[in-house]
Amino acid sequence: ILQALFHCDHIQYTLVPVTGWQDLGTAFLEHKEQFRYFVLINCGANVDLLEMLQPDDDSIFFICDSHRPVDVVNVYNDTQIKLLIKQDDDLAVPSYDEIFRDEDEENEDDSGNESDEGSEPSGKRRRFDEVSWESRPNETYGRTDKNTLIPAAMMFFELAWVLTKDTKDMLWWAIVGLTDQWVHDKITHMKYVTDIATMQRHVSRHSHRNEDDENTLSIDCMRISFEYDLRLTLYQHWSLYESICNSCYTCCHFKLWTLNGQKKLQEYLADMGLPLKQVKQKFNSMDMSIKENLRDVIEDMKDIRIQTFGAQFGFKNRFLASDMVHAAAALLESTEKDESDTDNFIKALDSLSRSNLNRLLSGIDLAKKKLIAIQQTVASCICTNLILSQGPFLYCYLMEGTPDVKLFSKPMALSLLCKYLLKAFVHSTRNKRCKILPLVMAAPKDVEKGTIIVVGIPPESETSDKKNFFGRAFEKAAESTSSRTLHDHFDTSVIELKMEDRIKFLDALITLLS
Amino acid sequence: MDPSEVEFLAEKELVKIIPNFSLDKIYLIGGDLGPFNPGLPVDVPLWLALNFKQRQKCRIIPPDWMDVEKLEEIRELEKREEAFTPVPSPYYMELTKLLLNHASDNIPKADEIRTLVKDIWDTRIAKLRLSADSFISQQEAHAKLDNLTLMEINTIREFLLDSLNCMYKLRSNLQPGSSGRTFTDF
Repeated sequence: ILQALFHCDHIQYTLVPVTGWQDLGTAFLEHKEQFRYFVLINCGANVDLLEMLQPDDDSIFFICDSHRPVDVVNVYNDTQIKLLIKQDDDLAVPSYDEIFRDEDEENEDDSGNESDEGSEPSGKRRRFDEVSWESRPNETYGRTDKNTLIPAAMMFFELAWVLTKDTKDMLWWAIVGLTDQWVHDKITHMKYVTDIATMQRHVSRHSHRNEDDENTLSIDCMRISFEYDLRLTLYQHWSLYESICNSCYTCCHFKLWTLNGQKKLQEYLADMGLPLKQVKQKFNSMDMSIKENLRDVIEDMKDIRIQTFGAQFGFKNRFLASDMVHAAAALLESTEKDESDTDNFIKALDSLSRSNLNRLLSGIDLAKKKLIAIQQTVASCICTNLILSQGPFLYCYLMEGTPDVKLFSKPMALSLLCKYLLKAFVHSTRNKRCKILPLVMAAPKDVEKGTIIVVGIPPESETSDKKNFFGRAFEKAAESTSSRTLHDHFDTSVIELKMEDRIKFLDALITLLS
Repeated sequence: MDPSEVEFLAEKELVKIIPNFSLDKIYLIGGDLGPFNPGLPVDVPLWLALNFKQRQKCRIIPPDWMDVEKLEEIRELEKREEAFTPVPSPYYMELTKLLLNHASDNIPKADEIRTLVKDIWDTRIAKLRLSADSFISQQEAHAKLDNLTLMEINTIREFLLDSLNCMYKLRSNLQPGSSGRTFTDF
């Protein structure tokens, strides 16, 4: 969206993708001579930027980041750092006086227009839903919650709207950004639904502008429509059967990693009147009558439908927002040889534009492979009981020989696997206590360097607000055992660790969280 | 001439736009372009209109002739007549292509207009080919064709001239007393 806005006004820019804090530092050093204005997207809000990057006095940073909490220095600095957030965004930042002791007389407190001052000192207790988390003393975890709010894409779309330069393409990108947050479980369902309602207003505004009965729009223009569609991942680009087998929701519902589960699925399909032969075909080749009635037929499974948007341009190209999210994510983290992260980023960016359909379709293929790999790994982990309860959390380690383990050396894929695994585990275990534990997962990252990547996710719950405490917990555990860790990712709940330090790190984590 | 050159010339045609920004009168070498006020229609050359549209600074209003019923009438007329009928605009093909490629969301029933204009073009080119064919085979000395547009002329130009050249060479070699038996390479 930002690129499109720059194009409109002929502004020159350089785009630099960064994978972590080190990358950010190097990129900044390379470019700081030539540029004065820096826009940071999805990074930089929760660290003291000025201290980390040491910029010149006339560089100005615009930060659009949904990671919380925001570092206080970033909020209170009014010259060099500008935060792009919504007016009613509750940053819960303690008031200026409580933190900074000013030497000079004037006490400028113009943070008022940027943040809603909660005036809670950081020692104050916060309320949670989970019983097990409530007992944690807040002094340690006072500001460790990762509560992501409005996605950057929506922020930029609102900006474009204010400038009246918003187009359907930008609206679509904003929707994809929102869906990405939901697919990767970064926001709660309530927040997703509220944001969908906001987007729905924009969609109606755009569609009413152009479509009357007499003046129909050319078929090549992009049409965005609101859909109350099935939660089966990628089902329109796959066969229905495959999609049911590989979507987290249906897989857990039927427990498809057991033989019994597969039989239940067959019975279910038979009950619904969907012939097996049809269902195993590519979706577009299924009978029209089945396709049209599909949503009504599958309705009785609880929560199978989700509100989302679909885009159509040309006769052949119909995509749901979640399709594009999976495709872009798969492209971003593809593990082909000889592809640097920057290349992957550019490819993923290309796949979002309408003119690069080949890219998008290859992304969808990669996403299919990734989903199949995830489901197989989940099945094998559950069947071989690889998930161990370590007391305050569940733990799972993927050995090096596991098939497709290379796919899981990337943070997003591993987080997705983690989420599905936890859901499946909760559905399959009978131990009531285990159902409310969070999950920590480790997988080999780089065999030559001997590092593993560790990810932690909060416990599975309907009403959780997705606060993730593992960032701080990982940091403390690493300090106390002096393990060699790398906290490079912008998402603090993902770290790299040396393989040899794994055991002692784990032990420290257990003692910390008990 | 290259088709892209013809398109370049076509971009000088004026179209109506509704800008969403304001700008004072601008003085260009080719002429003045009136002050731009948001919401008020103004005539600008096509190249400027397309530039503004791509930067989302305006909305383009399709020319009067770009309308389904009018184009249908023209198409029927073209099919009935043997000669060439007057065209809605000397650059109708280029205008249609450019406007439908860049601003199809501002043009109602864009798909039908595209098919209609293509039909008109096909009919005219067919007539052109027929007449060129009869011109060459009957070895006429001159012909007069009304109502042709530059794009159509450009399409046939190279072929017609080359074939007439070849015919001339063939004829001049047949006549006795011409420069020996020199068989030139065609």
